Amino acid sequence: MKRAAKTCAICESGVRVVDFKDERTLQRFLTERGKILPSRLSGTCARHQRQVSTAIKRARELALLPYIKGHVG
Amino acid sequence: MTHQYEVVYIFDSALEEPAITEKLERFHSLIRQDGVEAPTIDQWGKRTLAFPIRKRDTGYYVVAKFETDPATLPEFERAIKLDDGVLRHLVVVNEGAQPVPVTAVKSEEEDDE
Repeated sequence: MKRAAKTCAICESGVRVVDFKDERTLQRFLTERGKILPSRLSGTCARHQRQVSTAIKRARELALLPYIKGHVG
Repeated sequence: MTHQYEVVYIFDSALEEPAITEKLERFHSLIRQDGVEAPTIDQWGKRTLAFPIRKRDTGYYVVAKFETDPATLPEFERAIKLDDGVLRHLVVVNEGAQPVPVTAVKSEEEDDE
């Protein structure tokens, strides 16, 4: 039996370019420890997965998102 | 040839607002060019950092969008790096607002006819 295809959340929202300053949206593509969620789990299409990963890396550089969540010291 | 850029600064939150505006003006004077609009500045204000930078827990965020010649950027970034009041900065090509190609619009009109 085939599993129903997951749909890309970003395609559905109609956003052309993922913004690295919008950390609330990016938060949805992180694990609870702050790693980038694979597209296998998030259902993101290849183009948007690439955009999401660069956006997350830029947001980390600007301290909008943590590199590791819950890390002390 | 000019390009659209976007820069995010994280200033030390201990700085006063006039000092930040003065620094912004100094940086932006380096990328000023004739016939190009002045940078649009968006001040986010004080925000908590996701992790401490230089032992500071908060930073003053400023986002600016501007158009300039790529040749002016090295000098611009050098000035930012030398400034102790800037905790971090990031300059990226602005892809958010891409101008609609004129040809694309025209071909659509032709289709309608």
